[in-house]
Amino acid sequence: MKRGIQLLLTAVLFGLFSCAPSRFVKPLEKNQKAISFSFGGPGIMYSGAPIPIPFSTLAYAQGINSSITAFGALHFTSSLFGNLQADLGASCQLFELESGLGMSAAPALQLAYSVGTAKTLRAWPSGDINVYYHLFKKPSYLYGGLNAWFEFSKYKAHNELQTRHVIPNLQLGYVFVKPKWQHQFEFKFIGMGIPNTPGVVDYVGLNGKGSIGFYYNLIRTF
Amino acid sequence: MKTILYFVLLFGFSSCLKLDSNLYNNDNTIKEYLLDNYTGEQDFILDDSYTIPSTLIHRFSLASQTTEETSPFNIQAIYIGDLNRINTDTVILYCHGNKWHMDFYWQRAKLLAHTGSKNRFGVLMFDYRGFGLSEGEPTEEGMYADTKACLEWLKSKGLSDERLVMYGFSLGSAPACELTASPGVLKPERIILEAPFGSAEVMVQDASQLNMPAAYFTDLKIDNAEEIKKVNQPFLWIHGLNDLFLNYKTHGEVVYKNYKGVFARKHMVDGADHGEVPEKMGFETYRKNMELFITGN
Repeated sequence: MKRGIQLLLTAVLFGLFSCAPSRFVKPLEKNQKAISFSFGGPGIMYSGAPIPIPFSTLAYAQGINSSITAFGALHFTSSLFGNLQADLGASCQLFELESGLGMSAAPALQLAYSVGTAKTLRAWPSGDINVYYHLFKKPSYLYGGLNAWFEFSKYKAHNELQTRHVIPNLQLGYVFVKPKWQHQFEFKFIGMGIPNTPGVVDYVGLNGKGSIGFYYNLIRTF
Repeated sequence: MKTILYFVLLFGFSSCLKLDSNLYNNDNTIKEYLLDNYTGEQDFILDDSYTIPSTLIHRFSLASQTTEETSPFNIQAIYIGDLNRINTDTVILYCHGNKWHMDFYWQRAKLLAHTGSKNRFGVLMFDYRGFGLSEGEPTEEGMYADTKACLEWLKSKGLSDERLVMYGFSLGSAPACELTASPGVLKPERIILEAPFGSAEVMVQDASQLNMPAAYFTDLKIDNAEEIKKVNQPFLWIHGLNDLFLNYKTHGEVVYKNYKGVFARKHMVDGADHGEVPEKMGFETYRKNMELFITGN
């Protein structure tokens, strides 16, 4: 059990860059507000069964106009490690056809600040691009797309070259839209193309690459 | 809304979890050391030809105290060899990895005790605080203090600098490197690092793929990649090319690259995972390689 908890905690490291689902794939209406709570993360084998690492975030969003929604979120799991982690960004609708097919992009900035002795602030840009389609009953929709974190540092520890500058994730999700509530379910292939070994955690990946993550996001609009 | 804000602040400013303690995969539930009778999981088990006569196995306890502690902890140690010959023998101080206790590492200690020939070199192995029957809880400072306590004991038995070889495996590379770089009572003549950590920073960055400060997750100061720069003594690095725990490239290689001392040698072992280096290298080859390095050939 102790070993299991160790693995779970250590897994948090690998999954930090993928702690939330795509935010507000279809932007809110102008002046519409929303609070959301997301839960989930990369899949790992835990006590012989696959589970998502339980990351959680609390987000607030507001429709700037009918095609741009600004959002900000706090990451609870990071705070347990003495870090303030947040993401700030905007979801922008690029187009929506009459057929119900649309596309949105969400640039964001991921911020992490260690409140311990180190007092270190780091920031990583990230971005989402999604295509959505009102597959069943409008306004609910299916979406799929790409998310990426960007690391612009030239060097990492001990002046070794930082060779990886983009961490790509592939996502597929569905959002059930009700008048006041939305339920978002998302699968994400985190770090696709990146070998998940060497490492101390048994990730549920594909062909030894990345990790398959699952997320649930509860959204209350008002 | 107020309640939500309260929870956000509560979580946001709480600072309770660090990964430090997760580095120590210690087991302190055992009642006694079983050594050859230990039947739990081990990396490998040597055949009977490696048996050590009971007269050459000495178990004892040592008092260990960090500068910040007000009272010492008793830590457990095993010396393989003739206690009366420590003043003339060459001794390997074996700093074990992060797993369980000395029973897990007993086979490794026996193998080292057969370097050159049977019991040619003395071997001192010990459990860090919180491991096995050693008192206390594991800490980085405590681990260094425990290693120092062993060096003091060896010195009290007549060991001198030129006959001391420091050996660190995995987590044990931290005290081995630290006390070779900044020696106290004894200055090791040589250092051997098997599957060493690069640093806490490397550990975090390997896992996150991002240039992320180690301080986000740990207060550990382990930094072999920097400490090794202060080591001038001959250095042997051995690492499995299939090490799935501590990547030989990001961890071991940066340590080896940063070494600027008088002599360095490395053995990269094909197909060997973290605990498999001696077995995949072949016990005889491993012993030969150790002997050549220790004897300066």
